[in-house]
Amino acid sequence: MAVKDEITARPASSKSGTPGGVRLTRDRLIVFFAVILFWESAVRLGVDPLWISSPSLVGERLWQLALSGQLVKHVSRTLTEAGLGLLLAFVVGVPIGMAMARFKYANSVAEPFVMALYSLPRVALAPLFIIWFGIDLFSKVMMAFSTVLFIFMLNIHEGLKTIDRDLVDLFRTMRAPKTYVLRKVLLPWLVPWLIASLRIGIGLSLVGAVVAELIGSSSGVGWYIEHSAGRLDTTGVFAGLVSLTLIAVAGNLVVARLEKHFSAWRPS
Amino acid sequence: MTFVSKPPDVRNQATANAEKVDFERINVTFDAAGGDSVEVLKDVNLAVSPGEFVSIVGPSGCGKSTLLRILAGLVEPTSGRIRIDGKSLSDNRERVGFMFQRDTLLPWATVEQNIRVGAELAGVPRNQIGEKLEKLIDLLRLAGFENRRPHQLSGGMRQRVSLGRLLAFEPEIYLMDEPFGALDSQTKIAMGREVLRIWSLHRRSVLFVTHDIDEAVTLSDRVVVFSARPGTIKLDLKIDLERPRDPQQLRKNLQFGAYIDQIWSALE
Repeated sequence: MAVKDEITARPASSKSGTPGGVRLTRDRLIVFFAVILFWESAVRLGVDPLWISSPSLVGERLWQLALSGQLVKHVSRTLTEAGLGLLLAFVVGVPIGMAMARFKYANSVAEPFVMALYSLPRVALAPLFIIWFGIDLFSKVMMAFSTVLFIFMLNIHEGLKTIDRDLVDLFRTMRAPKTYVLRKVLLPWLVPWLIASLRIGIGLSLVGAVVAELIGSSSGVGWYIEHSAGRLDTTGVFAGLVSLTLIAVAGNLVVARLEKHFSAWRPS
Repeated sequence: MTFVSKPPDVRNQATANAEKVDFERINVTFDAAGGDSVEVLKDVNLAVSPGEFVSIVGPSGCGKSTLLRILAGLVEPTSGRIRIDGKSLSDNRERVGFMFQRDTLLPWATVEQNIRVGAELAGVPRNQIGEKLEKLIDLLRLAGFENRRPHQLSGGMRQRVSLGRLLAFEPEIYLMDEPFGALDSQTKIAMGREVLRIWSLHRRSVLFVTHDIDEAVTLSDRVVVFSARPGTIKLDLKIDLERPRDPQQLRKNLQFGAYIDQIWSALE
């Protein structure tokens, strides 16, 4: 159970929109610039940029990469891999999660195997996936898919377990067709769980894609990091890391938007 | 259910026609934890005439809710026979409407959308739903609250919405399981008055479970008293009070007090 609890995040809460407002934004910016300043001054005070590069060097590199079109090329590649993996995990994981809740006995039979697969560090599958699916796009998509799949499966299962029995019973007494219950009760009920899954899934799909890139690829942010590290180009590594962070932040903003849209009805 | 294989009994068909609902020797035994079994209902015989308002009172856990759940198709009796209009439960295509103590509204849907569920499941033609909802919202004095969500309403109003959904479903039989049990006594009396007003318009059969003896006598044509588990019928009391009844006026009625006394002594 402990393993499950880690990934079945609480359903998205309602308040993430504007907590604290202007003051909070200001303080966050202060922290951000303090870190940048500390980093930059460390280099100015004598730490060799070979180890930690510097914000100005990283900024310069990102600018060059942007101008040469390399940035778009690598970022869009990684985004495609992670995005397709995430989408596939959603399409496959949600029905499986529903089936797990529906067929309780079959689920009990399968549970130890599912948990064994879930507990396996999927990173270790990357070499195998490259043998199976090649060094092109497909192996990266499958890596992203395999890291995220369980998130959807287990969250949807958990979400359905908490469903209000009386509500479902009420629809049964009215002889509601299954598709009607699915549309009117189950899917709306699962929205917070889907959003929670997406929130975790975005980060994990990037992990899957980047790990596969590190092992064998010819483009993508992971490839760029690996390539730079091989030449002791710390600035290049940091430039890659910053791009990944930006992708993740952008992804989370999209989720926050979705959440705001879908939970508008909630009590504040 | 062992009785389904019996050939149709012509004599029974004929005599059962007069009753809307007929419970015959109903026994229910649940499997409890640890391999024990709990006898919930024992040899319960109960008939409800068309348009009759029958209340069931009894100690907690005496199986009164179970009886309602059987009729709603949520629980299978261990043995016994249930007929609606002389037909077995599985042959019956008439609508049975259930109302729980909890409001069981869709929390993300507005008042209007929640009531609409009843109309949609009753198969009301799409172009007539709007008009029907408008009438119901007026009838239940919910005008002006159509676009509110359940969490923005008081407990009494939420139950009125539940009642609206039940009415929109146009059941032939109303099953109400302590529908106002969670409300304060003032709201409860107001809701009772509301139920009487609405029931007098349509005069459908009602099975009403309650803990509140005053409420039972006020509303009903008959009050049935259940014993503690396993539930059996201890008293079946006809309430001969003139309609329309007013809950406040009834309290001054001597006969009302006598009924209350009779039920109390049956409960002890």
